[in-house]
Amino acid sequence: MAELTIGERKVLEKLAEYDKLVSVSEIAGELQERDERVISILNSMAEKGLVKLDTREYMTHRLTDEGRSYVKDGLPEERLFDAVVNLGGLAKMEAAVGFAGLEQQAKGISVMWARRNGWLEIEKAKGTTMLKAKVENAESSVKDVLVLLSKGDVNIPTKLASGLETAVERTLVEEKTVKRFEATIAENRKGEIESLLSQTADGITDLTPELIASGEWRNCTFRPYNVELEPVFVNYGKKHPYNEFIDWLKEVLVGMGFNEWYGPYVETEFWNNDVLFVPQDHVAREVQDQFRITEPYDHGDIPDEKYYRKVKAVHENGGDTGSTGWEAPFSRELTTRLCLRSHTTPVSIRYLWEHPESPQKMFIIDRNFRSESLDASHAQEFNQFDGIIMDKGLTLRDLMGYLREVCHRMGIKKVKFKPGQFPFTEPSIEGFAKHDTLGWIEVAPGGIFRPEVTRPLGITDPVLAWGIGAGRLYMASMDIKDIRDLYSRDLTWLRRAYFVR
Amino acid sequence: MLVECVIDELLKLVRKKLTIKQLENALFLMKAEIDKADDEIIVIEINPDRTDMLSTEGIARALRTFLNVGSGIAEYPVKKSGLEVIVKPGLKKIREFIACGIVKDVRTSDDLIKEYMHLQEALTTTHGRNRKKASIGLYVLDEIEFPVIYRPAKPESIRFAPLGTETEMDGPTIINEHEKGILYGPIISKHKKWPLLIDSKGNTLSLPPIINSNTLGQVDMTTRNLFIEVTGTHKKTVDQALNIMVTSLAERGGNLESVTVNYPDGTSIKTPNLTPKKMRLEVKDVIGLTGLSLSDVETVGCLQKMGYDARIKGKGILEVKIPAYRTDVLHPVDLIEDVAIGYGFDRIEPSIPQTATSGKLLTITRLKNKIRDLLVGTGYQEIKSYVMSSPEIMNTKMLRNRPLTTTGNPKSREFSVLRNALLPVLLDFAAQNQHADYPQRIFEVGDVVMPDSREQTRTKQVPHVCRLIVDTCVNITEMLTEVGFILRNLGLASRIEFAAEKAPEFIDGRAGKILINGKTVGVFGEVSPEVLNNFGIGMPVVAFEMELPIDGTWAL
Repeated sequence: MAELTIGERKVLEKLAEYDKLVSVSEIAGELQERDERVISILNSMAEKGLVKLDTREYMTHRLTDEGRSYVKDGLPEERLFDAVVNLGGLAKMEAAVGFAGLEQQAKGISVMWARRNGWLEIEKAKGTTMLKAKVENAESSVKDVLVLLSKGDVNIPTKLASGLETAVERTLVEEKTVKRFEATIAENRKGEIESLLSQTADGITDLTPELIASGEWRNCTFRPYNVELEPVFVNYGKKHPYNEFIDWLKEVLVGMGFNEWYGPYVETEFWNNDVLFVPQDHVAREVQDQFRITEPYDHGDIPDEKYYRKVKAVHENGGDTGSTGWEAPFSRELTTRLCLRSHTTPVSIRYLWEHPESPQKMFIIDRNFRSESLDASHAQEFNQFDGIIMDKGLTLRDLMGYLREVCHRMGIKKVKFKPGQFPFTEPSIEGFAKHDTLGWIEVAPGGIFRPEVTRPLGITDPVLAWGIGAGRLYMASMDIKDIRDLYSRDLTWLRRAYFVR
Repeated sequence: MLVECVIDELLKLVRKKLTIKQLENALFLMKAEIDKADDEIIVIEINPDRTDMLSTEGIARALRTFLNVGSGIAEYPVKKSGLEVIVKPGLKKIREFIACGIVKDVRTSDDLIKEYMHLQEALTTTHGRNRKKASIGLYVLDEIEFPVIYRPAKPESIRFAPLGTETEMDGPTIINEHEKGILYGPIISKHKKWPLLIDSKGNTLSLPPIINSNTLGQVDMTTRNLFIEVTGTHKKTVDQALNIMVTSLAERGGNLESVTVNYPDGTSIKTPNLTPKKMRLEVKDVIGLTGLSLSDVETVGCLQKMGYDARIKGKGILEVKIPAYRTDVLHPVDLIEDVAIGYGFDRIEPSIPQTATSGKLLTITRLKNKIRDLLVGTGYQEIKSYVMSSPEIMNTKMLRNRPLTTTGNPKSREFSVLRNALLPVLLDFAAQNQHADYPQRIFEVGDVVMPDSREQTRTKQVPHVCRLIVDTCVNITEMLTEVGFILRNLGLASRIEFAAEKAPEFIDGRAGKILINGKTVGVFGEVSPEVLNNFGIGMPVVAFEMELPIDGTWAL
């Protein structure tokens, strides 16, 4: 056994003093060292069998903003129940919502939970919806959990387990797994450790300018350091791994001769849908799928009336494109309505509107928005990576060639294609990539813009286009399962996450 | 859209034995995909444009030609029934169109009826836009006294027992209380009169597009002869829905008969009309768009494989007949795609053309990257946040009251506005990371959105940079030193000025603003304890936020 380093000596002395299983944070606190450094020292000693290092996992819970506000104001279903009781036990739904001071968006939630808890029932009378109290007192284990947590109580009793589960599901409480490291001296090496600790260290620690100048260093022994230690984890500055991935995609595209472009998050439906020949009554344009912007403004402008007229004609009767169009009237009110762009393709069209002459190659990687609730596989925001190529004589085979090339440059070796369907391209294709563990995954949807899309812009050359989900590619390459990790709010995770090309 | 098929039934209709693997390969090349499969049932995902494939029968029909069991358009003879539907005046603004057909000797069983209902539902949801544009009703033919009358009716005068119940209800009750009424009522409830289908004895067939009656609309396994009607607001959609429905039933051995619809203006239309539409296709356009070298004959072959009839009219010119159950052919490019599918996507060899262009990043991207590099150099961790946020984070907690771009249909309040600054987002991040090691030095470079009535989309989108230091002890001088380092390395040394600033989010006397060419572009300071309290942050914070020029260069 070699001699101990300074760090090892300090930690071992502490452990010997405790002589029982002790949390690493406690030791680190007493030594005024960072947890990571102590863990790293313990790790190296554990490998030599001098100490035992264990990890224990346990759950922690904390209130979210919403949860905190309910502690203060009461759960919406409680407030609704109280309002019904205050109104005599039977009240019109709207009246009860108003009395409870609930906002419209909280109405659905409060009614749903009050019914599920068996507090209220819905009755219909003469076409109006009435709420009727079914119990005298509304008791909510969810509320009990919130109150306990707000008092800083971390131990939730088992009888409130279902309340806790519901509170987590309703995102009133955030649940996290925390790891705790614990260490103790290895029983069988105690004697050896005592003798190690009793040896006094000799030799010098620091070489100084004086020692160098005087030549005194020739007479010194230098105390050895342990250079086999696992380096301590530190928090230096670095980029976000997802941004590094996006930077890389951009580099790939610039390398293939593509120009980067940009466009606004808030769009008119004109650019988001109509110029792309998405019929005005298409389901994807309804509120379940697409965010509308309603405040402070709800409609925007059409920047080019001549173009507007051509787009309108294409929808109504195909205009001069040879198409039948959608054979339905085109609404100006609808086309000027504001929305959050649901894909990056409007940016491609804005680019073509400004650059209608061949040849062109453009790309954009940026955010889009879809009306989704945030969970492990859905997010209200996602990054799409769009590219277009316009030139004379381009074909479906060329589109496949480009998509295959982009995939190759991103390290995807095997790509195959099947026909696809998008309202604005024909032919449309979908590229599938072979992933080592996930199998064939859909990565590259694309197509050739329909004449109904390009002719109104005065374009007759083929325009190849694709719109790849950048997040999906990143998740596949990083083996990320939860889409929320793309925009992780966990600093400790971010400090350790990295992207390697 | 998912379609569930019994494998044996599907293969019987295809008239060919196939393994699941062969089936999967064929469907993959035809735009469809197997979602899941076991020994008996296969669930197939159909692309929304192929409404003709929303049933086992439709999928089988497409597979037959694709696998060369059949070729070209499937023929379905239609006999004249001589029966009539009379449309009364007053429906023009309510639900103008109706198309009807009869299917006799159709095979029925519990499972088959479920499948017919499924097709009806799938068609009205997608093609019929949730019954708004078109809805379908199936009835027991032999119990109806013709002619059938389609007329507007006062809601209170409507009275019948809706399908599945024995109790009669009036119109308003159905709309307000029946499950389907609540769901689809809004399509007609805004009108003074509602569309009603009755027979000559005065029995109600249905209240389109809501619900059938229990007497005439109850199709079960004893039913052999069906009356089918489609009503709606768009003629072509109505006709196509009927065509898809009746041809699917004909695939199950039913014999089709037509019905004459008499409109109040005197026009009389025989439906279903299964006459194919004609479209001219030039082979040079096919070659031009696909890059495949195809002869006229080969092109015709590909089209027949995709269920079209096609003949060569002249050199390089084809006349293509489009089956009446196809709804997705608007333009010759739609035929061209099908030629490529018929040719086989697995046989198409990708190529790379020599379109020579020089690529570059946007100037603003280069500026953002430079700032990110400088910030990483000064020891900051980059973070990436959602653009959507809440008014609490943006305004309330920040003691601000700045205009916010707001969505009217948020899924949660947490994501209901667009961020108009980065500092609140970073403070929120810090609040969620109080267990992480200190010091915390974090930054973000990203766009923020401000309402602006002068802009085309009523918003101005501006790139911002923001960073925070969170620690047990922070120092505004340290922040100022680093801001100086960044700005000097952006070449702005001679153009920047700093001035004291008063803002509620910062401690008085510990805040400053940054001016470039005399214009305020940013702020820095020590965050006020009140704001820290609002976010629930227990540590002091110094912060800096600055806007970047949209085009990536600061005007001189």
